[in-house]
Amino acid sequence: MNCPHCGVEHFPEPAGGKKADGGEGGCPYLGAPFPRLRAGHDELFYGRWRRADASPLDLRRAHHRLRRLLDEIAAALGSDDLPATRKDLARANDALHMATLHEDGQESFLHADHALSYAHRVIGDLLHEKGAPPHSPGDFSAWYEAAEVPFREDW
Amino acid sequence: MISLDRYPKEITLRNDARLVLRPLTPADGAGLWDFLRQLPELDKAHFREDVDDRGVVERWADTIDYGAALPILAWDGSRVVGSVTLYRNRTGWKQRVGIVRILIAPDFRHLGLGTAMIREMRHLGEQAALNYLVAEVIVIQGAAVRALERMGFEKKSVLPKFVNDRKGRLYDLAVLVYSLSNAEGEFYF
Repeated sequence: MNCPHCGVEHFPEPAGGKKADGGEGGCPYLGAPFPRLRAGHDELFYGRWRRADASPLDLRRAHHRLRRLLDEIAAALGSDDLPATRKDLARANDALHMATLHEDGQESFLHADHALSYAHRVIGDLLHEKGAPPHSPGDFSAWYEAAEVPFREDW
Repeated sequence: MISLDRYPKEITLRNDARLVLRPLTPADGAGLWDFLRQLPELDKAHFREDVDDRGVVERWADTIDYGAALPILAWDGSRVVGSVTLYRNRTGWKQRVGIVRILIAPDFRHLGLGTAMIREMRHLGEQAALNYLVAEVIVIQGAAVRALERMGFEKKSVLPKFVNDRKGRLYDLAVLVYSLSNAEGEFYF
């Protein structure tokens, strides 16, 4: 069931008895700006389509979710004067377009993965403009069926 | 002329520390000197003057010309903990190219401040109608190189044993370039 707060399907509480990071009301994304965008990103980041045993259907579902995420990001960006951010969003859209064009699963996967990376950068820009901390999916891994927790490196 | 209306700007780091970003002013000389003193020798090697000399740093602050060098400082209360400077040429063939230098206090690294500074520079580069931003980073400062790449800078070359520190040791230098939105499809500016 999808979370009523952020709109994505994540565990109702963090796995392994880990302490929730800023979570409230069973949703770890509340308490910081753009919860739907951050959750939408992480749902894709930890999605089945990125696993070794992903099916073509998983990939097609990911394309649809990416489309929705990019549309929501565009709405959040609105008419803000952020050309670099807008350019990254255009790149994300281009990469998703390429992903949907490719028949070959691996090629399509790579383009979709690039689209997700650009989306992450755009979300980071939006958070920066709001004065909020950066978003790291690794902080939310316990709320998903995460095969592995991504290595986090900040500078 | 770059609009500086966005400053002072508050940002939040990964550890929830709240910092304020704002341009260097003549009143900030002492704070800047204190900041530069905390930095490892290698971080200061690119300066053309001795930044351990308080007089040098205070003179910079007193004579700052935002059209040539726009330093944005990150303040934790009354302490400077980071800086990013956009260097520009008013004329000549590189007048649409900005040089970026980012410095972060050792105890504020790996918290997202460097990345926040890169975001700030991308924004200012667009505001200044530049075509490209260029960052030169010593290769062993791997976290900085990777952060720039994650933010869209492309590593164009690595120059082996190209720059030296103040003791004469040589280091490989990475040159990274970011294409701003003005750069695409233009033949004239």
